[in-house]
Amino acid sequence: MLSISAIRKLLKPKSFRGKFILTVGTVVLASLLFSGGFALRNVHRLASDATLEIQKGLTRATTEYLTNYVDTTSLRVDSLINGTHSEVTTLADAMQSLIDRPQAAVAVGGALASDTQFNPALQYDVHGHWAQNRSGAPSVLSVWGYLLGADKKPRPEVQKLIRDTAVFDFLSTSLMAGGSQKLQVYYVGPKDQPIMRTTPYADQAQMFDKLYPGHNDANFWQFFYPGVYEGWQRWIKDPQSAPVQSDKVTETAPYVDAITGKLIVSYFHPLWTKDRKDVAGMTAADVTLEQLAGVVESVKVADTGFAFLASESGNVMAVRPEGEKTLGLQTANAGAGQGVTGVDRTLIKSNQAAIRTLKIPSGNETDIAHINLVHNGAKVPYIVAMRRLGKRNLWDGKIIVGSQLVIGFMVPESEVYASLFAARRSVDNTLQQIVRGQAISVVLSLLALLGVILAISKPISAGLNELAVAARRLKDKDYSVRIEKPSDDEVGEVGLAFNSMATDIRYHTENLEHLVSERTKELETAADTILLLNARLNEENVRLGSEVDVARRMQMMVLPKRIELDAVKQLDIAAFMEPADEVGGDYYDVLQAGNYVKVGIGDVTGHGLESGVLMLMVQSVARALEERGATDPEMFLSVLNRVIYKNIERTESNKSLTLAFADFRDNGEVMLSGQHEEVLIVRNNGTIERIDTNDLGFPIGLEADISPFVAVHTLTLAPNDVMILHTDGVTEAENPLGQLYGMERLCESAQRHSEKDATAIKNGIISDLMQFIDNQKIHDDITIVVLKQR
Amino acid sequence: MEIKTNEYRVWSDGSTVYYEGTMRLSSPEDYAPIQAIMNEMLAAKPARIDLDLTGLEFLNSSGINLFAKFTIEVRKQADVGLGVKGTTQIPWQSKSLPNLKKLFPALDLQIV
Repeated sequence: MLSISAIRKLLKPKSFRGKFILTVGTVVLASLLFSGGFALRNVHRLASDATLEIQKGLTRATTEYLTNYVDTTSLRVDSLINGTHSEVTTLADAMQSLIDRPQAAVAVGGALASDTQFNPALQYDVHGHWAQNRSGAPSVLSVWGYLLGADKKPRPEVQKLIRDTAVFDFLSTSLMAGGSQKLQVYYVGPKDQPIMRTTPYADQAQMFDKLYPGHNDANFWQFFYPGVYEGWQRWIKDPQSAPVQSDKVTETAPYVDAITGKLIVSYFHPLWTKDRKDVAGMTAADVTLEQLAGVVESVKVADTGFAFLASESGNVMAVRPEGEKTLGLQTANAGAGQGVTGVDRTLIKSNQAAIRTLKIPSGNETDIAHINLVHNGAKVPYIVAMRRLGKRNLWDGKIIVGSQLVIGFMVPESEVYASLFAARRSVDNTLQQIVRGQAISVVLSLLALLGVILAISKPISAGLNELAVAARRLKDKDYSVRIEKPSDDEVGEVGLAFNSMATDIRYHTENLEHLVSERTKELETAADTILLLNARLNEENVRLGSEVDVARRMQMMVLPKRIELDAVKQLDIAAFMEPADEVGGDYYDVLQAGNYVKVGIGDVTGHGLESGVLMLMVQSVARALEERGATDPEMFLSVLNRVIYKNIERTESNKSLTLAFADFRDNGEVMLSGQHEEVLIVRNNGTIERIDTNDLGFPIGLEADISPFVAVHTLTLAPNDVMILHTDGVTEAENPLGQLYGMERLCESAQRHSEKDATAIKNGIISDLMQFIDNQKIHDDITIVVLKQR
Repeated sequence: MEIKTNEYRVWSDGSTVYYEGTMRLSSPEDYAPIQAIMNEMLAAKPARIDLDLTGLEFLNSSGINLFAKFTIEVRKQADVGLGVKGTTQIPWQSKSLPNLKKLFPALDLQIV
């Protein structure tokens, strides 16, 4: 027995071979099981399909067979009954023709009167108080006490009836000889003269006295057949009241014949008076049900299938004893009243629930039903086929109603489907054999395959094993290990590679020192190359940066030189310009022509070469205008703007600039024009004046004509008054807290340094500013021009 | 449409463009996305465009140039009005915004 750990070891093999075998084995087992299962499923489905088809066919055949059998049997039963009907009807027709022809009746009666066989003498019975002929005649004629005169002989009109109906005995004798199995045929006179003729002869009146005491005191019709006579009388008045009009025969329900003890049915045919206004008696026949039952009981379907004949109400008239048992019928003699005794063996009182609720077919077609009976506590399915027979007039003991007999066949399904069950059993057996065969083949295939795998895997895993051992030795620093005789497959290739690697490792390990020095040399060479490349890269960077340098140098180049500033007599000028990280667009210039000095300050939007070029352009234009002696500040600015505007338009540049000029006269008068930052004045007494230039001009390069916006602000500088021009780089410089330097701080700073000379003022202001900025990034160019009136 | 960075945020709502924060972009090219928002609004030709600058703490000269150029563009469209809303709380606005009114006298400038 395998322990759990052993099973786990089997399912999780460590060796390559084990894994190989497990993998291949699992795949093969799975595919075998799958294909086997698939085949089995197909066989199974095929079998169940076939069984279903057989069942359908059998059901169809059985239904057809049963229907045919039921139809044929009901035809036989109907024709048997119809035969009896026609016999009774024939007798009635003969009797009726004599009633309709009284002379003929008299003549026939007279002719027969001469024959004692047909005109036997009547004997009065003192005990019974009735008259009857003696035995020996073919028929018996009973004349009840109430039809006799005082002389104990039939009254004259009764006597006439006896003579007129003597022909009955003649006809009935021959009728009894053939046709259906009749117990007796008889004639009963009209209600006021109900004499009774019966063939064959029997001690009729004596039997009646014994069986039906009191019958001789009551009217015959009323006593034996209440409702029959009246029913027929109604037919005369209303022919529609007859349930079946074509056939006047009226039947009784089956009953036990008082004389013979047999189950019989009576068939009555009414006779009419000549004028058809009343009933004139009847002819009748009693027929045992034996012949009918014979037909029904002879029915045999399969082994135990049987037929039964029942009234419409479900009262079973004919059935074989075993059928009676199957149906669970319980016989009870219904109320043994006067007249005739019925039999009560109805389906409704069966001890089988399914029989109790059995529906009698409503139409005239054969109905097939499947029901379950319970036999010995087990359910037994049955097929029931039922059909109604022809409609007849039935006297139910009170009135005449229409009634149909019902014939039914019962067959156990097990017998009908016996062949099917047998087929299914054989299919099941075959299936089991297939399953067994499949299982054996799966196991055998698997075993065979495992054998093959074991055989195949051995050489494969042998190579791998050798590799594993060699690798382990290599790990233990045995560098001399080699794979001997590698095979010619992939494992062999790995072996060859292993050998080569082992050689390498051995070489590297044993020549490590040598190798290190070699590598160091290689590294040194690489470092030299990198340094070379780095130097080249620096050169490249310098070349790229030179464009920026050009712009920066250009900006610085055009600024006025110190000498130029010193050349201005009336002003002490100092200027500072610190471009931001890139080239900025700040501009300032000092232009001198004669005794007239023009100082400009501006700020081109943006940074970079383009801003620098625009600045240069402004500088050139301003210089040119100054040289041409354009002294009117407003015109100067407007012309400059137009030139710059056109140039900007041509270069499709997107820039503009703020620009303001201060024109200094030698008398201290200063004219400010152009829109720029505020101009700051520190008077020689230390007071501050701020001049807003917003309304003195307009940005240059935005509009073609700015002359409407240009204005001049005139002021006078006293000696030692200081004017400070700046760009927004000063006021908008940020400290590390993100605060702007602002005008107030600039004013305060300028005020503090205003007593010094221009350069010192400039240095002081810049120093204050730089202290404020601290280590914060400088976003914009910073420009300051300090002008001190001498 | 919205442009949002650590320093500033520009967005449009209806026919109003809002500006917030500090705009210190170094060149007109850098202002192109903001210009695109404004031009797009102008292309739709609304009856009036409003520029709300009350939240714009700082704007450098390139930025002011942008607004000037845009004002000129609106001026060319006879059927488009322009409103600019600024605040006296922020120094550059009282200084630079009146220029826009000079460029386009019909401009509705409110510095409150």
